[in-house]
Amino acid sequence: MTILSTKNLTKTYGKKTALSQINIEIPRGRIIGLLGPNGSGKSTFIKLAAGLLVPTDGEIIIAGEAPGVDTKAKVSYLSERTYLNDWMRVSEIIAFFEDFYEDFNRIKAENMLKDLNINPDDRLKTMSKGTKEKVQLILVMSRQAQLYLLDEPIGGVDPAARDYILNTIITNYKEDAAVIISTHLIADIEQILDDIIFINQGELVMSSSVDEIREAHNKSVDGLFREVFKC
Amino acid sequence: MKWYIDSDRPIYKQLVEQIELRIISGVYTPGDKLESVREMAMDAGVNPNTMQKALAELERMELVFAQRTSGRFITEDLKVIEEAKKNLAVQEIGAFLEKMKKLGMGRNEILALMEKIEEGEKEDDHIKH
Amino acid sequence: MLGKLIKHETRATSRIFLPLYGALLILTIFTKLALALGAPDFFSDNVATNPVIEVVLGISFTLYFIAVVALSVMTLVMIIQRFYKNLFTDEGYLMFSLPVKTWELVLSKLLVGLIWSAVCTLMIVISFFILSLGSFTMMDLTQGISMAYTEFYSTFGTSLNVLIFEIMMLIVVSTISSILMIYVSIAIGQLFNQHRIVASFGAYIVITIALQIIGSILMAIFALGNLDAVISQGQDGEAMQMIHLLINGSTLCNVILCVGFYFATQYIMKNRLNLE
Repeated sequence: MTILSTKNLTKTYGKKTALSQINIEIPRGRIIGLLGPNGSGKSTFIKLAAGLLVPTDGEIIIAGEAPGVDTKAKVSYLSERTYLNDWMRVSEIIAFFEDFYEDFNRIKAENMLKDLNINPDDRLKTMSKGTKEKVQLILVMSRQAQLYLLDEPIGGVDPAARDYILNTIITNYKEDAAVIISTHLIADIEQILDDIIFINQGELVMSSSVDEIREAHNKSVDGLFREVFKC
Repeated sequence: MKWYIDSDRPIYKQLVEQIELRIISGVYTPGDKLESVREMAMDAGVNPNTMQKALAELERMELVFAQRTSGRFITEDLKVIEEAKKNLAVQEIGAFLEKMKKLGMGRNEILALMEKIEEGEKEDDHIKH
Repeated sequence: MLGKLIKHETRATSRIFLPLYGALLILTIFTKLALALGAPDFFSDNVATNPVIEVVLGISFTLYFIAVVALSVMTLVMIIQRFYKNLFTDEGYLMFSLPVKTWELVLSKLLVGLIWSAVCTLMIVISFFILSLGSFTMMDLTQGISMAYTEFYSTFGTSLNVLIFEIMMLIVVSTISSILMIYVSIAIGQLFNQHRIVASFGAYIVITIALQIIGSILMAIFALGNLDAVISQGQDGEAMQMIHLLINGSTLCNVILCVGFYFATQYIMKNRLNLE
């Protein structure tokens, strides 16, 4: 069963083409790595799936519908940016998520905050960037969504928290949901990925499973990536 | 439990090997009940799909069997385990002999060296006691 | 979902406004007390008072006026800032991934902005009222009001209520259209890849100029330009007709602007969103 499919998906900004004729199918129950150099179009793809951008051409379908209010209720999006209101307390942002998302699991969020030693009464503006990112991730992972879009989830985080995050993604695994992780830190997450999608300069370069790549090339995806995109 | 996962080879294959080793060496005893796929995946830090694939392979190898409602169990068929042990040993020995050939060591040299090392180990044991 | 957005919006803005309103009230009461205790005849005669009281009153009044100005400015700033910051900067990533419709995002901000504008005006009026308490009696007030009504009726044959109603409509509709004009300028700014804030200001200025021009043309077409001449010639009936036309015409124009700005804003947010 496919959770996300695109047909000739294209996004241009004036003369600049961010994505060109992307055709992919993402099945449920998989953890997928969206890989590519900076500026390759990864973020554009994620934003299109999250409904933050409108395609210039082609289509993108999530759970049978074009991005809109219904799909946003089924998609849990972690942006690269810190998108939380600074003046809020953690407890308030949890109430916010609970208010707008029916599938939000408060208990799960509170447990994760405890695990990471984050005080729910703290105001976001008193937190370091790393801690804010952890809070954001906790909020996103506490939803029982059908599609998780994680844009650079482990970028600014210390190694211990990184392991915790990867562990959370594994534990959160659901057969009817898919997780798309967009990152350039391939080596760190490769172990938990089922499949990978390589994008470069707006085009789909490769779409395969991690096992297939390792069998065929006798190296890790990270190793292959370095070779393919060697400067 | 410690899992050693290489980045150059398919993960599920490595999981199969390590679980097989544990069965052969007795870490998992015949008839033992395995934890759920999810728990094992978490323990190893891998994707549940990957662990599932590994367990499916072990089922195919008949080292593990699944009972629909109760979960997965290590086989109680000692013959199968013996067979697997032999196959693994053959593989290891084969690889070892390959390496020795590269070093230019012949069969007798190898055997002599082996005895010497075993003697040495026995002496060490004596000294310790 | 709209209700939730409004609730959240109110919560986000209350934390700024409530303290300001509190400050205004405190200053008002303080000024009033100083007046009452030190210069009870302040509003009636220019009786020389104790210089200490004069200084205190001077400071108090100054602070009071600063509070009034600050409150009005703050209301405007909040309207702009909430729309821009919450929807078109990093926070926008959160807001636009909520399962809400685009029009709900716009409407929630519009309604809350409108309410705060109304509250701001109300607070200022109340504080003026508190300050001027005692310089007239309730009798004076009610007498003055009924006199206005009777005079109006005898001059124009219609109730003053109609005019008041029309003016209120104009005020409400033009407040809404000015808020929406700010929103559409911000939205237009978002169409650009760089210098978005400058583009927004530019759009606002262009729209203002365009409206001025259109306004003058309309005034000429409907021959409202010589209203002052008509009044000075004592043609009260004609003058009142022109005034009605002017007020209702403006209301109608503002409604058209409201619709136009609203749909333009909505369209840009829905189809041309490009968060950085």
